Amino acid sequence: MYIRTDAYSEGQPLVEVQNVSKRFVLRQEQQRSFQELFISIFNRRADSTRKLFWPLNDVSFSLYKGESLGIIGPNGSGKSTLLKLIAGVLEPTSGDIITRGRVAALLELGAGFHGDLTGRENIYLNGTMYGLNRHEIEQRMDEIIEFSELGEFIDMPIKHYSSGMYVRLGFAVAIHTKPDMLLVDEVLSVGDAAFQHKCMSAIQDFRRSGGTLLFVSHDLGTVQTVCDRAIWYEYGKIQTIGHPTDVVMGYLNHVAEKEEAAHQKRVKDERPIIRDEQRWGTKRAEITHVDLCDREGETRSIFMSGAPLEIHIHYNAPVRIEHPVFGLALHHQNGTHITGPNTDFADLDIPFIEGKGKMVFHVPALSLLNGEYLVSVAVHNQADTEMFDYHDRSYRFRVYAGQVRERYGLITLNGQWKQVSAAPVIKNGAKYQSDFVSQKN
Amino acid sequence: MQMNSSGQSITHPPLLRARIGMWQHWKELARYRDLLYYMVVRELKGRYKSSVLGFVWSLLNPLLMMLVFTVIFTLIMPNNQIRSYPIFLLCGLLPWNYFTAGVLSSVGSVIGNGNLVKKVYFPREILPISSVLAQLVNFLLSLLVVFALLLIFGISFSPKLWLLPVVIVMQTCFIIGISLFLSAINVYYRDTAMILDVILMAWFFLTPVFYPVDILPKSYEMFGMVLDIHRLMNILNPMASIVNTYRDILYLGTYTVGDFFLRTAVTSVVVMLSGYWVFNKMSGNFGEEL
Repeated sequence: MYIRTDAYSEGQPLVEVQNVSKRFVLRQEQQRSFQELFISIFNRRADSTRKLFWPLNDVSFSLYKGESLGIIGPNGSGKSTLLKLIAGVLEPTSGDIITRGRVAALLELGAGFHGDLTGRENIYLNGTMYGLNRHEIEQRMDEIIEFSELGEFIDMPIKHYSSGMYVRLGFAVAIHTKPDMLLVDEVLSVGDAAFQHKCMSAIQDFRRSGGTLLFVSHDLGTVQTVCDRAIWYEYGKIQTIGHPTDVVMGYLNHVAEKEEAAHQKRVKDERPIIRDEQRWGTKRAEITHVDLCDREGETRSIFMSGAPLEIHIHYNAPVRIEHPVFGLALHHQNGTHITGPNTDFADLDIPFIEGKGKMVFHVPALSLLNGEYLVSVAVHNQADTEMFDYHDRSYRFRVYAGQVRERYGLITLNGQWKQVSAAPVIKNGAKYQSDFVSQKN
Repeated sequence: MQMNSSGQSITHPPLLRARIGMWQHWKELARYRDLLYYMVVRELKGRYKSSVLGFVWSLLNPLLMMLVFTVIFTLIMPNNQIRSYPIFLLCGLLPWNYFTAGVLSSVGSVIGNGNLVKKVYFPREILPISSVLAQLVNFLLSLLVVFALLLIFGISFSPKLWLLPVVIVMQTCFIIGISLFLSAINVYYRDTAMILDVILMAWFFLTPVFYPVDILPKSYEMFGMVLDIHRLMNILNPMASIVNTYRDILYLGTYTVGDFFLRTAVTSVVVMLSGYWVFNKMSGNFGEEL
């Protein structure tokens, strides 16, 4: 049962989800007409084609005033269903949901807009939909228009708006309704960077003023920044609930395992095929295959920032080659060339190679941040006049930031910060001066 | 900070459950009354968009209808039994049109706003109710035309004209009841809207809109029982009572019998409450069905 009430007393949770289950009936073809209903009365077997799907299975949690809770999980795990249940758009099949105070759900920006009405009229329409009255909207009108940056366009029918203007107005109304609780579902991924930034700071302001936030996102970094508690939601259940960093780590490890399993299967089935245009060289020495390995030498495709990485280059030289040079290149998926080490730069002289062998490039702690990266490998002669074999961006791996909290750019420099002013730095009540505050890896 | 789901205390008192009933729904609807207002505005604006005359059509339509009736029933097939037949017809037809327009525009209101229903929480009954109220605005404007024509045709206003607003409220309750019921059913069975056209047409002929009740035989014998047709019609067909009441007040200038009036009022309210009850029973699953 869904219960919405204004009664709130200190210490009560704003949202209570108690043993909530939700069942979806998946039918091949929706039974929507009297005729089909009639047929199905006499043909009970037709009913057996329906499939049941439980996006929520006995889920319970509470959300308290001023808290900020993030929900993470893969697509189709039922996060949005959970949010819709709390918003009151869907009804639980069993269990209770109680919300106290005014809830504004941002399931879709500008969902209640009507194209023929002007921006101003839509503010009234949308605002009342969030449960405000006319008077309250009038009070906030100027703020909303200012936030939406629509200026004179506000008195134009919104069917003429660009999609950016549309979502700006949608968000402006929602955040200015000053709800007790804001439910946000992924909507911030629309709009340009400046708008996203503005939305994030508006949400932070909302939080500072004591607002409660329930936040569904794929952006794990944002969840870690914005939320003070997180839920990993998958398989119709809460997998873990707790500190965002812990939950994100648990989730990522799970994702890594799953992807790893899928990857292993692929690797078993077939060696990565290198297309002809990705490979060139005289083939006097050949690179037969390349493995990306973790600390234990296990082949992986997913690595955590700060963890070790090894690149194993297996080669075969049918004839003896003097002083070859092995090298690599590392590219980000977007094309940025990050680094290009080789044995020559490292002053490693390989006297000769002959027959099969293996070169290993060892990275003790990966300084790459979240992203998808491509490895190229090469073997050439010392003067770099003859390329024996070159595999251009043929090996792919993924990095999750994991416990590294840096989010911007491609790499972390593992630098250290210190304050050099005379004022002592107070931390945890202890007094210490000019100590390097190193970042946690 | 691990949370144990079963360790959370259940803090809502059992009293809270009992309150979730009709009354709770009413209170919520009352809180959202401004939304109802803007939904009506939206409906009206949507209807008159890119038409040059806009709401003037609400006035112009009954006028033009009147013109057609006058031409047909005074020149082509004159009807001399009923005094000022065009007015007689209009007094029945406008309330009837309000009824059909209200029902037809609201039956698809929940489906038509499916995206809204799936994304925003608000009392869903606002959708059909606002469709009906938008038609009410239309109807009230067209009544202005009726008054003008009454003057032109020299029909004096009844002293019971003050009952007119009451009748309008009665009829609106009745239409809202039917609309709530049908719009909810229509979410599950889209055939509802299809079959509605035929039903409304049959209903139209069973309602004394273009004929007076008097032309029907007073009594009719069936299976050895003597049936009072006039009474039966009014009992089985609330629209007949409503149309007759309008006509009594506007055209005949007579006073509708008190208990008849009361019965019609009670019927309308009962229809509205039952429609509302059915709608609330079904509205929980709208988000899923659409």
